[in-house]
Amino acid sequence: MMLEVRDLRISYRDQVVASVPTLDLEPGQVLGIAGESGSGKSQTALALMGLTRYANGVVSGSMVLDGRELLTLSPRQWRLVRGRDIAMILQSPRAALNPTMKLGALFSRTLRLHGMDKEERGPRMVQALAEVVLDAEILDRYPHEISGGQAQRFAIALVAALRVKVLIADEPTSALDVTVQAEVIDVLRNLRNRHGTAIIFISHDLSVIGELADAVMVMRDGAVVEQGSAESIFNQPTQEYTRMLLAAIPVIGGRSR
Amino acid sequence: MKDLLNSEMMPAPTPDLQGEPRRRRPAAWPGWRVARRFPLLNIGMVLAALVILASLLAPWITPYPADAGAVIHPDLVLEAPSFAHWFGTDAVGRDIFTRVLFGGRVSIAIVVGVLLISAVIGLSIGLAAGFFGGWLDAVLMRVTDVFLAFPALLLAVALAAMLSASAVNAALAIAFTWWPWYARLARGQAASIRRQGYADAAIVLGAGRARLLIRHLLPNASTAVFVQMSLDAAGIILTAATLSYLGLGAQDPIPEWGLMVAQGQPLATTAWWVITFPGLAILVTAVAFNFIGDGLQNVFDPKRGRS
Amino acid sequence: MSDLLTVRGLRLGFGKTEVVHGVDLQVLEGPYGLGVIGESGSGKTTIGRAVLRLHPALDGSITYRGCDVLTMTRVELSAYRREVQLVFQDGDGALDPRMSVQSAIAEPLAIHRTVARGERRDRVAALLAEVGLGSDLLARYPHELSGGERQRVVIARALALEPKLLVLDEPTSALDVTVQERVLQLIERLREHRSLGYILISHNLAVIDRLSESCVVLYQGAVVERGRTRDLLTTPLHPYTRALRAAVPELGVGRPPSTSRLTDGPPQTSSLLQPAGQGCSYADRCPLAVKMCRSQTPVLREVAGREIACHRAEDSLSL
Repeated sequence: MMLEVRDLRISYRDQVVASVPTLDLEPGQVLGIAGESGSGKSQTALALMGLTRYANGVVSGSMVLDGRELLTLSPRQWRLVRGRDIAMILQSPRAALNPTMKLGALFSRTLRLHGMDKEERGPRMVQALAEVVLDAEILDRYPHEISGGQAQRFAIALVAALRVKVLIADEPTSALDVTVQAEVIDVLRNLRNRHGTAIIFISHDLSVIGELADAVMVMRDGAVVEQGSAESIFNQPTQEYTRMLLAAIPVIGGRSR
Repeated sequence: MKDLLNSEMMPAPTPDLQGEPRRRRPAAWPGWRVARRFPLLNIGMVLAALVILASLLAPWITPYPADAGAVIHPDLVLEAPSFAHWFGTDAVGRDIFTRVLFGGRVSIAIVVGVLLISAVIGLSIGLAAGFFGGWLDAVLMRVTDVFLAFPALLLAVALAAMLSASAVNAALAIAFTWWPWYARLARGQAASIRRQGYADAAIVLGAGRARLLIRHLLPNASTAVFVQMSLDAAGIILTAATLSYLGLGAQDPIPEWGLMVAQGQPLATTAWWVITFPGLAILVTAVAFNFIGDGLQNVFDPKRGRS
Repeated sequence: MSDLLTVRGLRLGFGKTEVVHGVDLQVLEGPYGLGVIGESGSGKTTIGRAVLRLHPALDGSITYRGCDVLTMTRVELSAYRREVQLVFQDGDGALDPRMSVQSAIAEPLAIHRTVARGERRDRVAALLAEVGLGSDLLARYPHELSGGERQRVVIARALALEPKLLVLDEPTSALDVTVQERVLQLIERLREHRSLGYILISHNLAVIDRLSESCVVLYQGAVVERGRTRDLLTTPLHPYTRALRAAVPELGVGRPPSTSRLTDGPPQTSSLLQPAGQGCSYADRCPLAVKMCRSQTPVLREVAGREIACHRAEDSLSL
C-alpha cells in the first residue's frame, strides 16, 4: 500500500467530526468519497493534507505514506510533503491562484520552490499543459482572464508537473458547467493513466464519482457508512443509506412524463 | 428506496432527514451566551455601564453635588487628593471627583446627541442613494464626498468657532462632520442588499418602495451602521473634549472633561490631579466604547462571531 | 390547450451588451412544465427575471393570458405578480436574514391583504404544511434552517398568493441529492394539486427530464434546440445539446471514457462580451462545423419534429 490510514479521528473542541477506520490507496487508484454536507468528507481531506491544525482541530490515529508516518510530522516537514507527495485541488481553483501573478510566473515559481532546475522547468511546464489540453499561451494570462474550467485544468497541470503521488480533489467539478465538468474528469483520468497518480475524489454526487473511481467510500455524519469497490457500491450496495443516495440521483429517462 | 423518500414527502409535517446539518443561532442579537465568548466586549460593557451608572447617579453619590456648578471655595483651592476630596480640588476649590462624575453626563449627552443626529442624516441619505441609484446616488454621494474631503476635526473647529461656544453647539458641529461616514456606509450596504435575492423576492411579492426600504433595507443596513456607531462613541468623546479644550465647546462652570483638562494644563506640574482625573475619565470611557465596538463587530461578523 | 405565457423575440442586455438574442418561449395552462436548459452565461437567469419584469426588455413581447406584460401599469403589474411568482436558487439569499419564517411567508399576505390579519398565522402554518414543514419552524430565522428547509420556505412564500405560473430558477442546485429528491417530489405534487404552470430553469438535464413536458436549450443567449423534453434528451440533435447530453455522468461504473470531449474553447468570460456577430456562436466548439457555420447565423427551423438552429441538423440525424 502506498497510503495506509488507520483509525483516523478528527475532532474540534473534543467533538469528533469525522472518523475513518481504514483508508488504503495504491498508486494509480482512484478512491471516491461520497457524502452530503456535514458528512465529514471535507474534514477528512483537510486531515490528509495535514491542515486540520490550522483550523484548531486535532487528528489522532495513523496515516502512513510509503512507510512514513505523517501524523507526527512537524509543520515544517509537512510543508515538504504538501505539493511534493500530496496535493489538493478545490472547488474554486481560481481562489487559490495569486491574482497579481501571471500563470507562467506562478507555475515556474511553484516548480522552483520544489527544487526543480531552471533548465528542467520550461519543458516540464509545456508538457504538463499539453497533458491537460491547455495552450501554452495561457502562461501569459492572469488568473481572472481564464475560465473556471481552465483554472481547474491549470491546477491539475501543476500537480502533473510536480509528479505528486496522491491528489486530493475536493468537489473539483461542483462549481462547473456539465460540459466543463466532463473535461476536468477526462483530464484527471489522463493524469492517473499517465503518471500513476492516486486520486481521492470527494463529491456529493455519486454519479460523478462513478465516472472515475475504482473504490468508493460513503460517509455520513462523520462516519463511514460503507466502503468497497466501485462495482460493489454501485451494483450491490449493502447499506440502506447508500441505496437511498443512489436512488435520489435523478437520471434521464428515469420517469415517464 | 423511493418509498423511503416518499414517506418523507407527505404533506404532514416531516422531520428533515439527518443528512442536513442544523445550526441554531439567534438572529439579531446573538445573546449573552455568544457575547461571553468575546471577553473584550464584556470588559467594555462593564466599564461603560459603570461610567453611565456613575454619571446618572452623580447627584446622589457625589459628596458635593453643588460643586458641579458655579461655586467657589477660596479656602479649598488646589487641595491634593485626600479622604475628603478623593480626586483633589481644582483652582477654585471645587471637588474634582464630583465634577468628573457630573462630567460623564455631559459627555454621554454629547455622544448620544451626535450619534442620533448623524445616524439619522447618514442613514437617510445613504439608503436613498443606495436604493434609488442613478443620478440621485451621484448627487448625494458627491455632496457626501465634499464633506469627507475636509479633515473632520478642522471642519468641526471652524463650525464651532462660527457658532457661540456651548456644549450644544459643539455637538451640532461634530454631528455636521460625522454623518458623511454613515451615509457612505449605509449606501454601500443598501446597494448590496438591493442586489440580494430577497430584495427581488419582496418586489415580486408586491412590496412597494416604502416597504422595501423600511422592512428590508433599513434593518439589514443598520447593523453595520450600529456597530460603527459604537466604535465612534470614543472618537466623539475625544472630539468633544478637543473642542472644549480649545475653548469652542462647553464653558465653565459646566463640568466637561475636555474643558477640565484644558483648565488643568497650566497646573500640570504643580497640581497633577486637576488634569489627571478628567483625563483618565476620557481614557476609560473611550476605551470602553472601543471595546464594545470591536466586540460587536466580531459578534456580527459571520466569519468570526458565528460558529 | 391555451397559452398561459408566451414570450416572443425577447432581447435582453446589460448596458450596451446584449446577452439574450431574441428568445421565444411558450408555457401552456398548468399542469405544465417548460424546461430551460443552459450553462453559465447562457442568459437563463436573466430571462427568468425578465418574465417577472425584474429586468427590462430591449425588445420583444411577453404575453400572460392575452395581456401584454411589458406595457403593464403599476396596478396591472401588481396583479400580474400575484399570479406569477419567482422561486430563487437558495444560494441567492432569497430570504431576508432579519425576518422569521412566519413574517417571510406572511409578507405577501400582508401586502396584498388577501387574508385577514387574525387568520394569517393559520394560513402560514397551512402553507408550511403543504411544503412538508412543521409549524415549529415559524419562529426560526433563515440561518437556523437547513438548505432544504430554506428552499421549501421560499416555495411556500411563492405559493402564498396562489400563483398560476412559477419561474423556478435552479430550485435544487444548491441542495444535497437526497434533499433535492424531496424538493423535486414536492414540485411534482404541487403541479398536480394546484394545476401549476412553470418555467424550470436548470443546468441539470435529469431534473429537466423529470419535471418538464417541453424544453429549450440555450447557448449564449439564443435557443439552439426546442422540442418535447423526452425527444430532445433521448435523441439530441444540435451538436451542443449532444455535448451536454454526453457530459452527463451515467449512474454506475465502467462507462468507457469518451475520446474527444476535451476542447480548449474560448474562455467563458470573453465569450460573454462577444457581440452577436456573423455565424453560429457554437461553431468554435462544434465538431461538425463547416465554412457556412462561420459565415451564416443559423435560425430555428423544423427538423424531425422539433426546432433546431443548426445548418447541419440533417447530418446530425444520421450520426
